[in-house]
Amino acid sequence: MIKRYDLIVVGAGPAGLSAAIEAAKNGLKPIVFDENAKPGGQLFKQIHKFFGSKEHKAKIRGFNIGDELLREASENGVEVVLNATVIGLYDGKEVTVKIGEEILHYKGDSVLIATGASENMVTFKGWTTPGVIGAGAAQTMMNLHHIKPGNKVLMLGSGNVGLVVSYQLMQAGCEVVALVDAAPRIGGYGVHAAKIARCGVPFYLSHTIVEVTGAEAVNGVTIAKLDENFKFIEGTEKTFEVDTVCVAVGLSPMSQLLKQAGCEMKDTPGGFVPVCDDSGATSIPGIYAAGDVAGIEEASSAMIEGRMSGARIANYLGYLDEDALQARLAELEQALSSLRKGMFAPENRGKLVTKTEEGIDTSMSLLEKGYVADDEIEKYPGVTKGSGVHPVIECTQNIPCNPCQDACPKGCISIGSNITSLPVVKGDVACIGCGMCVASCSGQAIFLVEDDIGDGYGTVTLPYEFLPLPEVGQKGIALGRDGKEVCKAEVINVRSSTAFDHTHLLTMKVSTDMVMKARFFKAE
Amino acid sequence: MERIQTHPILGDSPKGKLVSFTYDGQVLQGIEGEPISAALRVAGVMTHRYTKKRHEPRGVFCAIGRCTDCVMVVNGMPNIRTCITPLEEGMDVRTQYGASDKREEATL
Ligand SMILES: Cc1cc2nc3c(=O)[nH]c(=O)nc-3n(C[C@H](O)[C@H](O)[C@H](O)COP(=O)(O)OP(=O)(O)OC[C@H]3O[C@@H](n4cnc5c(N)ncnc54)[C@H](O)[C@@H]3O)c2cc1C
Ligand code: SF4
Ligand code: SF4
Ligand code: FES
Repeated sequence: MIKRYDLIVVGAGPAGLSAAIEAAKNGLKPIVFDENAKPGGQLFKQIHKFFGSKEHKAKIRGFNIGDELLREASENGVEVVLNATVIGLYDGKEVTVKIGEEILHYKGDSVLIATGASENMVTFKGWTTPGVIGAGAAQTMMNLHHIKPGNKVLMLGSGNVGLVVSYQLMQAGCEVVALVDAAPRIGGYGVHAAKIARCGVPFYLSHTIVEVTGAEAVNGVTIAKLDENFKFIEGTEKTFEVDTVCVAVGLSPMSQLLKQAGCEMKDTPGGFVPVCDDSGATSIPGIYAAGDVAGIEEASSAMIEGRMSGARIANYLGYLDEDALQARLAELEQALSSLRKGMFAPENRGKLVTKTEEGIDTSMSLLEKGYVADDEIEKYPGVTKGSGVHPVIECTQNIPCNPCQDACPKGCISIGSNITSLPVVKGDVACIGCGMCVASCSGQAIFLVEDDIGDGYGTVTLPYEFLPLPEVGQKGIALGRDGKEVCKAEVINVRSSTAFDHTHLLTMKVSTDMVMKARFFKAE
Repeated sequence: MERIQTHPILGDSPKGKLVSFTYDGQVLQGIEGEPISAALRVAGVMTHRYTKKRHEPRGVFCAIGRCTDCVMVVNGMPNIRTCITPLEEGMDVRTQYGASDKREEATL
């Protein structure tokens, strides 16, 4: 007997769950299969605060968004079957599912494929040595299974995944010895790079791995600089003693099921994806695709795409009339398009954007070394001088993000209606030093600075998400944006609050002439 | 590698129940229900299997059940992906050589 459902969803990640929720809200009875033992896809490995705006659940950490989705799914009666791998999809919308040793057949009036992506690999000498792992594996080990993937790690890949996972490795107590990328410029968000650089992690752009050593397990890695033809330049080798090499060189859509079903496919720079319209309808009526499988993006966009597909499917099966569908799609479309704007918009992929939307020169130091140079920082509208405590916003690229604007109870920070505009600090409003902006900033790019507290000292307040948490009175050194020592520092305040959601606000006292340079505290 | 006791964002790691299992005959401990590979990594075991022809070591690579680099012989069954198989009390976990737990198999 073949079981029949209104909607079969393959993949319980953000895209699949969102689609099933939207469909269920419209009266459909969806079933979701996932090969994992737990639902949520990539979301539960993400422990950082998300970008975007309120409608995209910005400043909420990924795994908390995952919890919300699961709650919504169960409230709406979405049936999720775990440990269930879909191994076949046929154009009659028949699906074969492997559960344990059993193969089951299901038929859907509609099928949504939301299988996400798999990690790419690059080969180098020693790449199969135990201890060379994917970035996703590192996340799985530390954030789901609570173990350190390694003690000393070298990260290959400077896209958002490489940057985010490097930071997470440090949060888990691992040492990241270097971040390496063959490209000449950092691929991910500058704010993600800056928060690693200021902890002292060196970036090696235009470099790649020559060799990983170790007979039974990794014990070292050698990198070298590349010339314009991507050939190693002799004499530039550097060797690091590490036990782990983490690879984050991109993701590829897992679109095999769609191809198998006979959907029209296309080869794009972002991988092999189905040809589909905005709501995920493929060339076969009733078969849909949403999330990373339809083109690698982010969890925020995957959730909106999923909702759009869910609504479209409800319409396809006669649960939602055309007008209601169009109204819902227009609303979702708007939320989606705002995420696809700015310097990292799909059309800018791989391009060097030399000026911000505001006409300010891009910081090349940020793109090549991971931090904005001291003499560049004052060009940006979030960086202002003031007497008394005031915010210094070191957010210098046009990214779709605006929680800082909503965070300030006094209205000191403005981004305006264009979500990718650089945050501006308004000179005419007095900051009360509450720190909400510092804690809300998804990029950890906001500092509070007070130039003069007497005796030649000033203070810098920074976001701190590591353990052990320094204590008031603790002495140490202040590191600059480049992670190098700038001066002595003393912790004079540590603020923690549920409203800050695990971001602590550390205030350190440094000499007045260093308040615009000191950006991290290292205990002695 | 160590377990993370307290994480700055995730807080205290869940305690879990300690269970014993054997790795190539040696008694080790791990937390019930965690992937076998996690317990092994904590014990410092990095190599899970050796390839058939070249006898090359392999260990966890993807940690989500896709690459099959982490397969071992568990309770006599070869090709068990240890990164997604929950640890149970008394499990017999062995290094896999080629397709079995016999060392010769990989050197043939
Ligand atoms: C390190 C890192 C950091 C990130 N940071 C951000 C961020 O800050 N903001 C943001 O918006 N996004 C971020 N992302 C991206 C985001 O995680 C993904 O874009 C998003 O998870 C895609 O959602 P999805 O539902 O398409 O796929 P996934 O989340 O990958 O879910 C797919 C699901 O399908 C299941 N599956 C696959 N094949 C089958 C099959 N044959 N049978 C059954 N089940 C199957 C998988 O087990 C999985 O659960 C990040 C990603 C990474 C790796
Ligand atoms: S510290 Fe408080 S008042 Fe000052 S800018 Fe930040 S949110 Fe606004
Ligand atoms: S400063 Fe504002 S726009 Fe920039 S990363 Fe922080 S919250 Fe987002
Ligand atoms: S590590 Fe890839 S399947 Fe286990």
